Amino acid sequence: MEKIDVRAVFSKSGRAIFISHLDLQRTMQRALKRSGLPVWYSQGFNPHIYLNFPLALSLGISSCTEFMDFSVTEEIDFEKAREKLDLAMPDGISVIKLAEPVHKNQDIGFAEYEMKFYGGSPDEMLEGLEKMMSMETIETEKHSKSKGIVKIDIRPHIEILNAEACGDHLFLTVKLPAGGSLNINANVFADAFSDVSGIEFKSICIERTKILCKNGEKFI
Amino acid sequence: MLKEQIENILLKVRNPSRYIGGELNSVVKDKSKVDVRFAFCFPDSYDVGMSHLGMKILYSLKNKRENFWCERVFAPWEDMEALMRENNIPLYALESLDPVKEFDFIGFTIQYELCYTNILNMLDLAGLPVKAKDRTEDMPIVVAGGPCVCNPEPLADFIDIFILGEGEEVNLELMDLYAEMKKRGCSKREFLSEAAKIEGIYVPSFYDVSYNNDGTVAAVLPNHPNASAKIRKRIIKYLDSIYYPESFVVPYCEIVHDRAVVEVMRGCIRGCRFCQAGFIYRPLREKSSETICSQTRSLCESTGYEEVSLSSLSTSDLSSIDETLIKLSEYTDGEKINLSLPSMRIDRFSNELMERLKAIRKSGLTFAPEAGTQRLRDVINKNITEDEIMRACRIAFEGGYTSVKLYFMMGLPTEKDEDIIGIAELAEKIVDLYYQNPNRPKGRHVSISVSCATFVPKPFTPFEFEPQASAEEIDRRQKLLLESIRSKKRINVSWHNYKVSILEAVLAKGDRRLGEVIYEAWKSGCKFDSWSEFYRYELWVKAFEKAGLDMDFYAHRKRSYDEVMPWQHLDYYISREFLIREHKKALNAETTPNCREKCSGCGISAAMGGACFGKN
Repeated sequence: MEKIDVRAVFSKSGRAIFISHLDLQRTMQRALKRSGLPVWYSQGFNPHIYLNFPLALSLGISSCTEFMDFSVTEEIDFEKAREKLDLAMPDGISVIKLAEPVHKNQDIGFAEYEMKFYGGSPDEMLEGLEKMMSMETIETEKHSKSKGIVKIDIRPHIEILNAEACGDHLFLTVKLPAGGSLNINANVFADAFSDVSGIEFKSICIERTKILCKNGEKFI
Repeated sequence: MLKEQIENILLKVRNPSRYIGGELNSVVKDKSKVDVRFAFCFPDSYDVGMSHLGMKILYSLKNKRENFWCERVFAPWEDMEALMRENNIPLYALESLDPVKEFDFIGFTIQYELCYTNILNMLDLAGLPVKAKDRTEDMPIVVAGGPCVCNPEPLADFIDIFILGEGEEVNLELMDLYAEMKKRGCSKREFLSEAAKIEGIYVPSFYDVSYNNDGTVAAVLPNHPNASAKIRKRIIKYLDSIYYPESFVVPYCEIVHDRAVVEVMRGCIRGCRFCQAGFIYRPLREKSSETICSQTRSLCESTGYEEVSLSSLSTSDLSSIDETLIKLSEYTDGEKINLSLPSMRIDRFSNELMERLKAIRKSGLTFAPEAGTQRLRDVINKNITEDEIMRACRIAFEGGYTSVKLYFMMGLPTEKDEDIIGIAELAEKIVDLYYQNPNRPKGRHVSISVSCATFVPKPFTPFEFEPQASAEEIDRRQKLLLESIRSKKRINVSWHNYKVSILEAVLAKGDRRLGEVIYEAWKSGCKFDSWSEFYRYELWVKAFEKAGLDMDFYAHRKRSYDEVMPWQHLDYYISREFLIREHKKALNAETTPNCREKCSGCGISAAMGGACFGKN
């Protein structure tokens, strides 16, 4: 049977940001099934829809640039198939594009996030950020499957691309390492910011806006 | 809007997708354009409640009506509840995220006795007084339905209206009446008075209960002109043409039964004497194989589920089962959808069936002999022989299975030590049977798990007169069972917690006075009683002491044939005479043929115009 790889770009926002990565896989399998696309099933005793997510998204974070790979058993028109798949999606997930995959999972090196912090005064928040970025090390804890809790210094890995006080909130654009070799969760950054600045934020909104390769190219 | 407040706490709780709605096929309407808003509450966690078929049916049915909006509500898990209380977030419905306090109706489905404290807790979390008499005009009407409503007396203090029997027609009638009376500006009391005229509607505050000196019920009498002396359950006569959802809400997180479900029958022909469902869901009604196939197809297409299950009390009794399976598998095989068949009887287990089950998962097979000896199986009218059990196991072993799970009950009426030893002997015979199979997998041993539930006598069964066995007696019999098992490596025995079973028995057969006990238990912190990590037996004991009531009186007392049962004013068509007849036969270990073979005259045929089956 023919097997053609397809990469879907989708967004996740609104109520859908509370779908965990594990639940997203099930959600996507069902959406693919409902879409009626000629989806490729793994061969074997218990066939199931093959799916690959190059980079997982943490719970509570929205994104306009998520990726999911699947395969089909015959040539498809990408735009027509995109429409079908988009129609099958639950609230909060939209399919932006279908294309042939170019990069591999392991090419991923960074991700960019736009973050809004509510609950402090603008000056206080900017001050807190400055304090954070002037620190030499920022030690955080990371859960690792094999090693349990490991301490990691995230300071050298944080790149602040933009910081603006916008009325009631602080708006940040942050670049963090992503992918298999080193991945820093945007929530870990936000927690660290809260700790260092001493501000108890009323709410924090984070959106992933870019996934980049190690060489800085856009992941596609 | 609560949305923002809810979103701010969601990342602090486990499985947040349970609390925010937005799932595929959930129904969102414009609240300014609907007449009646109904908050359908399942008094347990999301993953349990979302698995419940009745809720899916009524949810879709109500939402099909343009002027009604039905939303879903579940009991928040303790982490979420704590944050909700801390942040003053009241109980809300998942579709609109509006507080349920603003709804016209709050409706509970009551599937098991051990959820009663959750009902109180949810009302409280909604910001409503838990007792019906303390709720004012501007507060929602609180209704309840489901199997436990066949004896709703322990909940009478908390609920405005009980809905008896099958809900498809009566729910709409009730909501239509409400919409019409709301427009006319009628009061809650006026609405209840009118509602009481609808068949299947029981307004508990319209009845007074009096008691004898010995604590038994003397009478339950109407105190309102519109309240009839007996309230009859509702029945859907033709299952094949009744509304069935074309789609289910598809959850994000994993739930207990995460699959499409097609109801293929209602009722059961078997008449197992311990089984309440077997009596209160009578008579048997079937769907045609065409209907089953088309409903399967539309559910699978609209949900994307990769598994569909044919649901009923005893799916192998479906008269068109073979034809249906052949037709269905043409579709499901092509779509790579697994077909699962729960509730199959041992005596209908076949090679074909096993092959079908194996295709889904090879975890093991479960059979329910229920009792260890033929005599006791005859007492409970299980109508299964040891040969049939052995035959089913032989098929399973020859098909490569190495583990079998067996369900039994302990504490059944007339049970003697030899019946307990019989459980062990049956398990041993099955172990031997495995090793007699020359083609058994090399090097693999057999594993038999014996699971014993404590028998709980239930209303509307021939055993409603029977006491539950005492804690000491159950304890002794459990020890006896363990001692009787020789192949300890191959047979694993487990049982339910007796302290849970006794509460189940008390609440199942209880009267109105238990309202005070439930209230006290909830006040002292009881909730999620069906979850072992939450169950606090000692708090229940205290609640009984405080109310001056005795658990033994409800659970461990033999009731005479002429005792007025607390549920005697509720008519499920099953006559007292029939129950007495069946009880006497049980004591003599006499069986009763199934409804297809011979009508046993239970009384239900009156609902079907004289006969349940064609020319029977």
